[in-house]
Amino acid sequence: MTISNRRDFLKSATAAGLIATVNPFERALFAMGRRPKGPRSIVCIYLRGGADWLNMIVPRDDDEYLAVRPTLAMNDEDGLVQLNRDWGLHPAFQSLEPFWKEKQLAPIVAVGSPHTTRSHFDAQDFMEFAAPGNRTVRSGWLNRYLQESQVKDASEFRGMAMQELLPRSLRGEFPVLAVPSGMDRNKGAKTLNRFEEFYGDGPVAGKMPGQMSGEMERPEDGAGIVESGRVTIETLRRYQEILAKGKTDVKYPDGRFSQRLAAMAKVLKAGEGLEVAGLDYGGWDDHANQGGAEGRHATRLKDLSDSLAAFCFDLGSKLDTTTIIVMTEFGRTVRENGNRGTDHGHGGGMFVLGGGVKGGKVYGDWQGLKAAQLYQGRDLQVTTDFRDVFHTVLDGTFDFKAPKGFFPDYKPKKISGMY
Amino acid sequence: MGVMRDRAVHLLSRLSFGPSEAEVERVLAEGEDNWVEEQLAPGEESDPRMKEALTNFQTLDMSTPRLYTWITEDFEGRRGNELSAEERQAEREKRRIPKGELTRATFLRSLFSSRQVEAVLADFWRNHFNVSFTKGGPADFLITDYDREVVRRHALGNFPEMLMASAKHPAMLHYLDNHLSRKPPSKQELAEIERRERRRTDSREAGEQAAEIAAQRGLNENYARELLELHTLGVDNIYKQKDVIAVAEALTGWTYDGRREGSWGFRFRSEMHVTGDKRVLGRKIREDRDKGGVGEGEAIVEMLADHRGTAEFIAMKLVRLLVADQPPSSLVKEVASVYRKTDGLIPDMVRTIVKSEEFWSPGVVRTKFRTPLEFLCAALRATDAEVQEVNRCLTALRDMGQPILHCDDPTGYYDVAEAWLDPGVMATRWGFALDLATGKVKGVEIPVEFFDDLPQGIPRLWQHHLTNRLLPGGAGQRTRNALSTVTDEYLKKTRVPDSRELGPQLVGLLLGSPEFQQQ
Repeated sequence: MTISNRRDFLKSATAAGLIATVNPFERALFAMGRRPKGPRSIVCIYLRGGADWLNMIVPRDDDEYLAVRPTLAMNDEDGLVQLNRDWGLHPAFQSLEPFWKEKQLAPIVAVGSPHTTRSHFDAQDFMEFAAPGNRTVRSGWLNRYLQESQVKDASEFRGMAMQELLPRSLRGEFPVLAVPSGMDRNKGAKTLNRFEEFYGDGPVAGKMPGQMSGEMERPEDGAGIVESGRVTIETLRRYQEILAKGKTDVKYPDGRFSQRLAAMAKVLKAGEGLEVAGLDYGGWDDHANQGGAEGRHATRLKDLSDSLAAFCFDLGSKLDTTTIIVMTEFGRTVRENGNRGTDHGHGGGMFVLGGGVKGGKVYGDWQGLKAAQLYQGRDLQVTTDFRDVFHTVLDGTFDFKAPKGFFPDYKPKKISGMY
Repeated sequence: MGVMRDRAVHLLSRLSFGPSEAEVERVLAEGEDNWVEEQLAPGEESDPRMKEALTNFQTLDMSTPRLYTWITEDFEGRRGNELSAEERQAEREKRRIPKGELTRATFLRSLFSSRQVEAVLADFWRNHFNVSFTKGGPADFLITDYDREVVRRHALGNFPEMLMASAKHPAMLHYLDNHLSRKPPSKQELAEIERRERRRTDSREAGEQAAEIAAQRGLNENYARELLELHTLGVDNIYKQKDVIAVAEALTGWTYDGRREGSWGFRFRSEMHVTGDKRVLGRKIREDRDKGGVGEGEAIVEMLADHRGTAEFIAMKLVRLLVADQPPSSLVKEVASVYRKTDGLIPDMVRTIVKSEEFWSPGVVRTKFRTPLEFLCAALRATDAEVQEVNRCLTALRDMGQPILHCDDPTGYYDVAEAWLDPGVMATRWGFALDLATGKVKGVEIPVEFFDDLPQGIPRLWQHHLTNRLLPGGAGQRTRNALSTVTDEYLKKTRVPDSRELGPQLVGLLLGSPEFQQQ
């Protein structure tokens, strides 16, 4: 990278109003270009509701696109972030432009599930369990990774959801911490202190009182509860310490999503062995009044983009070892509906960002938007199986070779050139 | 603690949403057997507390057509694109009302209904025959009728009738996609679709594609599979994939009347039905020519209800709910035989469990982990909490992973400990326990008498009294020590001990203690 490049990069990032201090950002730049050493992580951002990727990664000067989306379509004049001759990002993604220019952002088009369901919950299940159409698999793909790669004495922070409940991708046999709300505040710390004596140092050989038969000892009783309580206290307390000690080097936008990302950045930077982290962003089911360059969808996109950009700058050099994936359960109809919105569709998109991914290039096989090229005449074809992305990212991030059956009924296929 | 009292506590731990002082007294006064019998056949006996709690609810008793009219009547038949943005907003808000009312009512019934056994079993069947508001669309207004006419009506009835009622209810057919399941189109139909598409798009390719789509649109096995796996036989028990397909074929055409027809009731559509004989679990199901095919599905549902595998599966689940996560097989066998003898009479199965040696075995007492719903109800019941508003409780349930009537998975919520022990979630319980005890749960209050009734002037005894009240089975050493520490610290810095100060602290800790997480 040349100096002038870097200067441009800084300029555009500063223009986006994201950098409070330049230093961490510079560190990130110097670290690029070779595969950095150190622990690696995946951050999984899930846009719940079926986000409209066609208005996120936008085909430029596409007559079909402009024709079928009279109120939603955007062109260069609307301020598309121009990626290359064929593609632009939604104007609200301006703050992510620096990462594209630095080849850290890899958008993928026409990616999705081989299963045809348009039900939110089926599609989310199938995707997060990485088992389309298979209802017997009930563990998340990231949890399965944690199980498969277990080592003794590993960190208790290997997996973490920055929300009260685990997303499905993190559910499963491997214990993953879900951070309850309010844990970043004083009250959370007090709560833990109060219960320390009850749970603090683990089970006392499972001593729970056995009534009716006197103080009968039954080792199985309550041991799981006390143990879960102990782990809760230990990990949440450590989490609070990390939050208290950690520094946030950039200004994040206000809002819940970005504040949770800021907390996640602290954990990642603390080097506590966090390998997979999940965070949901809800509200993408834009059936009506979606808006184009401005409006509801755009407002959400700006929050997503600015939050992610702040997160990346905040991570600094740690971004080189952290892969962020942004995904959703399905794309939406190509044609806008009568309510200036879009309905549940099929093929969608993804972002892979950081972690040494070879970005600056739009991945995926684009068939075009002519009726005959669409799935069922209405949706984007899926030309890239989402499991190809998961498989590629797991390998690219952790050098993890998924064992047989890890992705059920799937023949592993890498996305060429991505790492 | 007398033996009878211990027994009453155990009985109420499993057959109610948690013992309250008043209910324990009631069991002691009436006698266990009488209490159980009265609960198993509650009749039309009024439930004044429930009635009062549900006074302002509008939609609970509405039939689906009535409810649908109620939602849409403001818009004079216009819908979708015909509505302005403001009207759509208004419609969306109105659609939320039945969901909200049913969710709140369900929680209130668990909490306050004097028919506690009915409430416990309704919750059990609600999960066994799970449907969910998360499905969206018509689920918003179909579940009100489903919960009333399928779940609660049959909760203390018999299983085969409940099974058939669920199989024919629009809420279930919609939730598990059976209304979409149809015979694959014939060659002629395909050709017709192709012709039409080609005319429309003037493209040979598009025509072919349309045909391909039509060919895919066919059998949907979703409901058929869950009928076998979750509702009757249990996973991978007895049936094979070919049985799933045969059942799915028999159930093609099982759908419901929608907006156009207006009845929102079960409708068999023979034009969607796969004709011909079916073979299920090795038995031949003869093609139903008299009624156009609906009889095949009915015969299969009846056959499943009558199946020994179903008797065993239902018995196992009931014993697991009421006795132990690892249900003793001797009792499961016994309950299964009651199922077969009584054609699935639910009160008889419950009675068999309650009268069994296994139910009263010291090895199972207070070993069931309380699900979030059970924890919340038990905490409110044990503290005689007065409830004006339940929203904060419902939020807590969501944060603990058990939002009422919002379980995506057709499995329903699990009633075994391992499903609920993820690290982190415990902290949400503790937070709620402390908030409840210190009056910080909006709309919920522990009456001051709860603390005023403690022996004034003897603060050292408060811990003991409150423990007896909230943990009638006693507290372990560690919990006793932890409570003493709090009492000591409080007394050290206070000149005039006030039970309204120390009491709430102790209650919060007791509710969050390991012992209170079990029943």
